[in-house]
Formats: sequence, structure tokens, C-alpha cells
Amino acid sequence: MSGAASFLALAGRRIAASLLLLVGASFLIYFTIRSAPGDAVDAITPMGTPPEIKEKLAAEFGLDQGVLGGYGVWLSRSATGDFGESLVFAPGQTVMEVAGPAFEKTLLLSGGALFATVVLSILLALLLGEPSARQQGLTGALYFITSAPGFVSAVVFSAAVNAGVQRFVEQAGHETPAWYPIPIYSDSIVPYFFAGFVLVMGDGLLMDTFNAVRAEILGVRGAQFISAVRARGASVTPHLWLNLAIPIFSAFVSRLPVVLGGVVIVEYVFTLDGAGYLLLEASKQRDFPVVVGLSVLFTLAVIVVGLLSDVARSVIDQREVARDG
Amino acid sequence: MTAKWSDLGLRLSGAVVVAVMVVGLVALVIPYDPADAVSYDSLLNPPSAAHWLGTDGQGRDVLMRLVKGTEAFFLPGLMGGLIAVVLGGLAGAYTGYASGPLRSALVGLLQLVDTLPRLVFIILLCTIRNPSIPLIAVVAGLLFVPTVATVVRRKVEALASEDYILAHIAHGFTPARILLHHILWLQCWPLLVRQAAFVFGYVLFVETGLSYLGDYGVQEPDPSWGNMVAQVKDLAGAGAWPWLAPAVAIVVTIASFLAFGNLVARKGEEALR
Repeated sequence: MSGAASFLALAGRRIAASLLLLVGASFLIYFTIRSAPGDAVDAITPMGTPPEIKEKLAAEFGLDQGVLGGYGVWLSRSATGDFGESLVFAPGQTVMEVAGPAFEKTLLLSGGALFATVVLSILLALLLGEPSARQQGLTGALYFITSAPGFVSAVVFSAAVNAGVQRFVEQAGHETPAWYPIPIYSDSIVPYFFAGFVLVMGDGLLMDTFNAVRAEILGVRGAQFISAVRARGASVTPHLWLNLAIPIFSAFVSRLPVVLGGVVIVEYVFTLDGAGYLLLEASKQRDFPVVVGLSVLFTLAVIVVGLLSDVARSVIDQREVARDG
Repeated sequence: MTAKWSDLGLRLSGAVVVAVMVVGLVALVIPYDPADAVSYDSLLNPPSAAHWLGTDGQGRDVLMRLVKGTEAFFLPGLMGGLIAVVLGGLAGAYTGYASGPLRSALVGLLQLVDTLPRLVFIILLCTIRNPSIPLIAVVAGLLFVPTVATVVRRKVEALASEDYILAHIAHGFTPARILLHHILWLQCWPLLVRQAAFVFGYVLFVETGLSYLGDYGVQEPDPSWGNMVAQVKDLAGAGAWPWLAPAVAIVVTIASFLAFGNLVARKGEEALR
């Protein structure tokens, strides 16, 4: 089989496996819905929901049928992006109209924070080089600080920023920024940068990524082929980065689910209108179609990222194709 | 990491882990009535001899609530960790050693559970069932089974062709005995300690996170480190100790459990080499 055909076959197999995973994961989500105590429709709707809305919801979610039949009904609607209409959060709008833009913001925030984490990890790894006794104090302190859950980092950071603005801006008689005091709903982009900073510094993300990236850099630097390149008097830099591309890309992709978990509460603390904030608000208001729609979108993001990772690894490293084919 | 720093880290993190265990057990037996603890004569008092960590916006002793707040995650954390390592260890051992359709089905199921974003799934569950913290801990433990199973599976696959394992097979030891005793118990314990400590930290994160949000988790007036941190919303500029003390406690506890798990596992792996 030619290289291109092998690659296409591999990509096809990975896509099929991802679709199977999506079907399985969506069944787990649906099964969780059906595990609601008592009447499932009553359990998933807010108090005082009119009977006609309940009937509509039962039909949309297949709650008036057996688990497998109901799943079939729900899956066939969900597969076309039809997760129903929002009940409380934005009545009359479809879930995708509400959740789509919010999810885009969340992906942008998570991706941006993760990109910054990887870049920072590379810089730190290049700066610190081999682990040594002298670095232990610094890495120990960083480890401790970055172990904080995202919401704790966000709370402490917000309090510190509020105190700073109050002291140096408000009390000095200057006009306070639109995003002050945190959390307040505003159109400003600044809270997104704050949230990104907290995501980088929380949930152990930075040190975990740094440790992985440093191990890879040191491993490649110490490899025999790099010594051979050096012995020939050639520049090692292109060889170094070419061989680090896969592990660094993997470090990025494999940590996206962690960031997507952390972003939920961080968005809530900063009142950012992303998918995490929407998920928690919809959950509090028992806007069930929105919660389910977002749960599927988050799961889909994890699966798609995994798929992209597999395919990209195959593009970068042809040995993957050879092994699989 | 040098041996000196490693030992220091192990001692410090070990001291915190032991302290959390002791406080967690003490919290289970000491009586505390949140309604009786309210004292309008001592609102937001700073730290003093009478109140080592001060009082909160309702005059309640912060240290006492901190101690009692461990009850919310202590047993659930242990339970979540136990579920993850027992089920994950068994699943990892089986999938690393066996072959056939049952193994393939189990690997598929583990992959499937691993796909679910943990916190999002827990919030979905909260929306539907409004579960107790122990039930959330059970679910968190189950969601970590694939992670544990993966690391154990890799270890089992690496060990399966070792000479001493082949010698055990030649001696007629049953696969169950080899897997459970010689591989899982004697060789994988460092991995399992690391994972158990991680899951404990995750349960603490979920419990405090949900309690911080207010609608799920532990509700006021019952104490949780999470709902204590949430007081930051009502105490802007009025003193940081009621919410900063639990925030520091959360960070110290999670960092210590992770460090302790890692360092114990590293020492164990060195000893096994």
C-alpha cells in the first residue's frame, strides 16, 4: 500500500473509532439522564414547568420510551445538532444558538491558556536546563503555587486585583476600569486574560507540562543522533525542534481535557459568558436541554482533540502509519 | 531531585497528610452545631488567643469550621481513592495480561469512560440527581478507573515477559495469583499509592469546588472549606482571614497529597529496581 493510501486508511480507522466512542459516551450521558429518580421529566424540569413543555421535552428526549428506544430518538435529533430549546436561560432559543457562541469563547480561552502554558514550559525548561539542587527551591515553590485548584487561584487573584485597583486607582481618584470589581459582567476582554492567567497557574497544569516538556528536551538533547550532528559541525537546532514537535504537540493536546475541566469554575468566578459559566448557570436554573447539550459538546471536544492528535502524529511521524498499517 | 530535597519534601508532605488524617478523624467525633456557633458579639474578629484564625461574618470560629470542614471530603476522598485503585488496578491487570473479546470489550469501556470530561459529567449528575458528596466521590473514583487501569496495564505488559514471571508460570502458579500477588501487590503498589493520593486530591477539589458554587456540595450553615472560601463574595475589604485560611488549607492539602503520593511512589520504584 502506498504511503498516502496507508495514511488515509489509518485516518479512516481513527475516525470510525472516534465515532464509536462518541456514540458510547453519548449513551452514558443519556443513561445518566434516565437514572433520574422518580419521573424523569419531573426530575429534569424546573418547578412550575407547564405540562405541554414537559410533554415536548419527554418526546424530544425519548423519555416516553424504553432506554434504548429513547436513546435512538434522542441520538437521531442530537446528531443533527438539535438539542432542543432552552427552558429558562434563554427561552425560545435553541440550545445551539445559546451554547455555540459560548463554547467558541471557551475553546479560545482554553486553547490560548494551554498554548501559553506550553510556551512558558519550553522557556522555563530552556532556562533551567538539567535539574539541579539549586533549582529545587524555585521548582518546589512553583509546584506548591500551581497545585492550587483553579477556583482557589481565581478567588485569591480576584481579591488581590480588586484590592490593588481600590488602593491605587479608586482611592487616587482615577476612573476605575469597566471590569472592576471582579466579578462583574462587562464587555471588557481583560477578565479573559485574568482567567487565562489563572488557568495557566492553577490545577497543577504548568508544572505538569513543564516536567513533561523538560524531560523531552533533555532526552532529545542527550540522544546519540544529536551528538553525531554536533560532531559533523552542523547546527543541532533544526534536528532538536523537529524531534520535539511530536512530544510537545502531545503535551498540548493531552492536557486540553484538564483545561476544559478547570475552565468551568474559573469562568464562573470571573463571570465570563463562556460554556463553563453557561453550564453552571443552566444547571442551577435546571435548564436541562442546555446542560445536556453542553455536556455533549464538551465530550465531543475531547474526542475531536484526541482524533486530531492521532492524525497529526501520523502526519508528523510516518512510523505511526507504518506501525498501524 | 536530590535525596536531601526529596527527604525534606517527603517529611513535610507526610506531616500534612498525617495531620489531615488525624483532623479528619477528630472531626468525625467532635460535636458541632452550626446554629449554636453563631455569635453576633464577635463578628469578623481578627486572629487572637480566643480565636486563632479569627471569626467569620457570623461570629463563628474559623479554626473550628476548618477542622469540622474536613468531614466533607475526608471519608469521601478515601472512598474515591479506594474505588479508583481497586477497580482500576484489577482492570489494568486483566487488560495487561489477558487477551480475547472480553479484554477488548473492557478496554473499549475504559476508553469510553475516559472520554467523559469529569467535572462536566459530575455537574450533569448534580443537575439530575443533586447527589450527596459521598455519591459524588464514588462517581469521581469510577471516572478515574481508566487512568489507573492504563498505568497498571502498561506496567503489567512490561512485566509479563520478565524471567521471574515466566518462572512463576513454569512453577504452575495460577494466573490470578501471579497477577494479583506478584504483579499488582508486589510491583504496582507505588503506582497505586500515587493514583490514590491523586484521586483523594481530586475529590477534595470537586467537593470544595461544588460547595464554593453553593447549589451543590455542602450547604451553609454546615462547614466546608469550599463554602468558607465562598465568603469572599460577602466580605469584600472586610478582612481576609475567614476565606483565606480555608483557601490556604485547600492548596496545602492538595499539594501535600500529590507530593506525598509522588515521593512515596518514587521511593518505592527505586526500591523495586
